[in-house]
Amino acid sequence: MKEVNVEVIGSDPPCPRCRKTRENVEKAASKHGVKVNITHLNAASRGVVEKYGVLVTPALAVNGVVKTMGRIPSEEEVERILAETSK
Amino acid sequence: MQKISRTIRTAILLAFIIFVFGALIYSRIMAYSLAPTMKTSDFHGLPTWYIPIAYLIDYFSHGWICLLFAFVVAGLIYEMIPKDIITRYMSGSKSIGYILAIIIAPFLTVCSCTMVPLFAGVLYSGAGIGPAITFLLMAPSSNILAILLTGELLYWELAWVRILVSIVVALIAGVIISRTPFGRAVEQEHQTNRVNMETDMKLVQPPLDERLWNALKFGGYLAKQILPYFILGLIAVAYIEAYMPEDIVGTYLTGIQGILIASVLGGPLYTPTLVEIVIGRGLWNLGMSKGALLSWLMGQPYDVANALAVSRIARWKVVLTYMVIAWAGSVIFGILYGTFAGSL
Repeated sequence: MKEVNVEVIGSDPPCPRCRKTRENVEKAASKHGVKVNITHLNAASRGVVEKYGVLVTPALAVNGVVKTMGRIPSEEEVERILAETSK
Repeated sequence: MQKISRTIRTAILLAFIIFVFGALIYSRIMAYSLAPTMKTSDFHGLPTWYIPIAYLIDYFSHGWICLLFAFVVAGLIYEMIPKDIITRYMSGSKSIGYILAIIIAPFLTVCSCTMVPLFAGVLYSGAGIGPAITFLLMAPSSNILAILLTGELLYWELAWVRILVSIVVALIAGVIISRTPFGRAVEQEHQTNRVNMETDMKLVQPPLDERLWNALKFGGYLAKQILPYFILGLIAVAYIEAYMPEDIVGTYLTGIQGILIASVLGGPLYTPTLVEIVIGRGLWNLGMSKGALLSWLMGQPYDVANALAVSRIARWKVVLTYMVIAWAGSVIFGILYGTFAGSL
C-alpha cells in the first residue's frame, strides 16, 4: 500500500484544535491500516500560505491537496478522505 | 440502514437547535430578563462567602438561555460559513480586502488561537497590511459572542454602537498604517508569489448530521474555553457590586475623566473575552456613564497579550501605532456616544 502524505496546517506551537486534528488522523490511519506520514505546518509562514493559501486553521492537506479547513475533521471523516486518496 | 440513522441524528440535532432558538424567542416574547436582577442593596447582609454564590445562581438562572444561544450560534456560524471565500477573494483588491476583513472578522475569531495565524495569513495572501490590521482590530471587539452578550447583558443599542465604532476604528487604523513607511516595509517583507492557489484546494464536506454535530461540539469547546474566566469575572463583579461604594464609581467613572480612566483600564488590564462585558455591567450598575462604558468595552483590541502575539509577525512600530489609534478611537467615540446618549 502506498504511503499517504498528510499535512496538518495550524498555528505554531500547535493549538489544541490542531493537535486534535492530528490525533484523528493517527487514529483513522491505524484503524484503516493506511500508512501515513504526518507533518505539522505553521500556517503563519510564507511558504505555507504561498503553497496552500490556508487562512483558517486547522487545515488538513492530503497528498498536497487541502481537504478541510477551519474545523476538526472527525475520525470517520478522515477515514473517508484517506480511503478516497489511497484508492 | 445507515441512511436512516443519519436522518434520525440530523432530526435530533435540528430539534435541539430549534429548541435553543425557540427558548430565546420565548424569553423575548415573555419579556423575561436574561441578565441578573440582583441590586447592590440585595447584597447587604449576606455573608462574604455567600455573595458570589448568590450572584452566580441569580446569573445562571436567568442567563443560561442567553449563553446557550450564544455558544450554539457561534458554533453554527463558524461551521457553516464557507471558509474558502476568504482565500479566494482576499487577494483581490485593497477595498475588497478591507470589506472582507470587516465581514469575516466577527465570525471567524471566536477562538483566539485562530487569530494570529489569520492575521499572518491575510498579510501573506497579498491583501496587505491595511486589511490585516483592520481584521485584527475588528475581531476581538465585535465577534458574535461578544456582540450577543453585550446586547443581552447590557443593552442592544450599545451592541450596535460597539459594532459601528469597531468598524470605523479598525478601518482608520488599517488605512493609516498601510500608508506609513514601516507599515509598507512589513507589507513588503510578506510579499509572496502565489501561483497555484486554486489547484491545491479541494475542500470536502461531511454529511449534514456530522456538520451539525461539529458545530455543537465547537460551541461546547468555546464554552469550555471561555466559561471558567466568565465565572471568575462574575465572582469579581459580585464583590465589586457588593463592596465598591457607588460614589467612587460615580465620581471617577463619569465625564471625560471617566472615559479616560475606563479606556486605560480596559486595555492593558488583560480581560479575557466576554469578561469585560460582565465587569462593565457591574460598573454600569454602580453608576459608570454610558460613554465610559463604551470606552471600557473598546479597550479589548489593544490589550497586551494580543499585542505581544502580533509583534511576533509585524514590527513594534506597527503594533504601537495601532494601539494608539485604537485607544484614541475608544476615547473619542466614548465622548461622542456619551454626549449623544446623554450620559457622559
